[in-house]
Amino acid sequence: MPAVQVENLVKTYGDGTQAVKGISFKVDEGEFFGFLGPNGAGKSTTIKILTTLLRKTSGLANVAGHDIEHDPQKVRKLIGVQMQDTVIDEDLTGRENLTLQGHLHQMHGEELKERVNTLLKIVDLENAADKRSAYYSGGMKKRLDLASTLVHRPKILFLDEPTTGLDPQSRATVWSYLKELNQEGITIFITTQYLEEVDRLCRRLAILDHGEIVAQGSPSDLKSEIGADRITLGFENGNPGAGALKDKAKQVLSNLGGITEVVDSDEGIVIYVKNGGFLVPDIVRAFDGAGIKLASIGVSSPTLDDVFLKHTGRRIRPEEIDKSRASGMFGRRRR
Amino acid sequence: MTFISDTYYMFLRWMKKLVRNPILLFFSLFQPIIFLLLFTQLFSSFGVLLGVNYTLFATAGIVLQNAFSSAFQSGTAIVDDIKSGFLAKILATPASRASILLGRLLSDAFRVFAQSLIILLLAYGLGVFPATGILGYILILVTVAFFGLAWSGISLALGLRTKSAETVFGIAGTLTFPLLFMSTALMKPQLMPTWMQNVSAYNPISFAVNAIRDLIMTGYVWNSFSQAYGVISLIAVLTLGATLYEFRKVVS
Repeated sequence: MPAVQVENLVKTYGDGTQAVKGISFKVDEGEFFGFLGPNGAGKSTTIKILTTLLRKTSGLANVAGHDIEHDPQKVRKLIGVQMQDTVIDEDLTGRENLTLQGHLHQMHGEELKERVNTLLKIVDLENAADKRSAYYSGGMKKRLDLASTLVHRPKILFLDEPTTGLDPQSRATVWSYLKELNQEGITIFITTQYLEEVDRLCRRLAILDHGEIVAQGSPSDLKSEIGADRITLGFENGNPGAGALKDKAKQVLSNLGGITEVVDSDEGIVIYVKNGGFLVPDIVRAFDGAGIKLASIGVSSPTLDDVFLKHTGRRIRPEEIDKSRASGMFGRRRR
Repeated sequence: MTFISDTYYMFLRWMKKLVRNPILLFFSLFQPIIFLLLFTQLFSSFGVLLGVNYTLFATAGIVLQNAFSSAFQSGTAIVDDIKSGFLAKILATPASRASILLGRLLSDAFRVFAQSLIILLLAYGLGVFPATGILGYILILVTVAFFGLAWSGISLALGLRTKSAETVFGIAGTLTFPLLFMSTALMKPQLMPTWMQNVSAYNPISFAVNAIRDLIMTGYVWNSFSQAYGVISLIAVLTLGATLYEFRKVVS
């Protein structure tokens, strides 16, 4: 039985915006599943639907074996949800935050007390457990938030950008918790901007763009689909945009053999080519002949970033996304 | 019954938040205390006009005014929970949906109960003791708490609808004094202009004030008591209905 099964899921908001346009995918039990996409692609909307916080317009969705529309209560008992923003009650202590979550999941007495103690130990908040969480650092709050989604031992954990806005050290800590949780058998469904971690941890992933799934598979499959090295060309007057320089450059490139794909990028032009190293001298000569000055040229083997770029035409930039993040859960709609 | 335990834990959460923000309590008690200490002195000669001790007369109004303005803060708390995502976090648990609202409403009622008790104790220091004695105290507090619960419904509905604390505050601030002054809270109707007498006769605050004032000054007056409960119940049904309606919209 898959942990998450989605078929033709559609979400149209009241104002007519189609945030999710009939997506289908499956997450197996025990999987570490990455759900990627540029801002506004429909990731958060999908997560909200799967976690019973938002009603779907049409399609089917089963979570932990239960239909999200007919059996939302059963779904809620089996899932843990971490939102994009850190959500804890800052007037309560760390221990009280966890205990409240336990109570709302019908856990009581000694069992709950022990569970809370264990979690506080795991997320390294034992010493701050009885302090008001308002006084916690950003990393501590995030860890508490994560712990609060685990009190009832969920089978599936939904995480919407759990490490966005954290310093590198806290980020690494959170990722290592997630890895451990997954090893214990918890299915992880995660959206994130950090592709290196996705590459390292996710067994499978789906890329969402404009409300549609544009690619899915294992990181290695998706990378080998590109089947080519990447050559990044940077131009002297910065990004040539859609201007004449770029067109001219593309024309020059079209005369060269072996190129699989040419993609516009913020840095200039990205070329996908088999055995990229051999083509570099040709490119340099051709551009010299055409009078186009190159500021930089880089060759690398494909990464998830390339997969992302290929399918969405955009790169993921965690830092920028931090700043543009909306703050409310229901306030501003994130698609 | 998970509904009851869920409600209890939601209630407990709000009580903890309240106790840990004493500054909020201070500010909401500040105004009624100023009324009790200064206003009643300033207008003590009204008492002569009315043929009663004015402090004794105004206590009911001050207690109600406090309930009115405290209960109106409820909506801003729910707005905070919506904005922070805490409401969503709770909604993602199997907690009973109704318990989320009821926990908040009960905490409002309890808060009004406790604040009214403080005001009544201060009033006692100024020589105000209900004609109905200890039982009267209990009846007053229960009535005020019920009134507070009914009013906080308006605030919650507004908060859920506008999702803006400023709007809730703005509406609360605008309504407080007109509603208070056009009621029997601080003045007998006989001394009001005719039009205001008419308004005050239909002002829900007047009904609640009259019942409490009777308990303080006269004794058990079945008529005013039953009228007050009728009016407060009606308000409660309307405001809580509106709250439920708005809550469903937010939840789905």
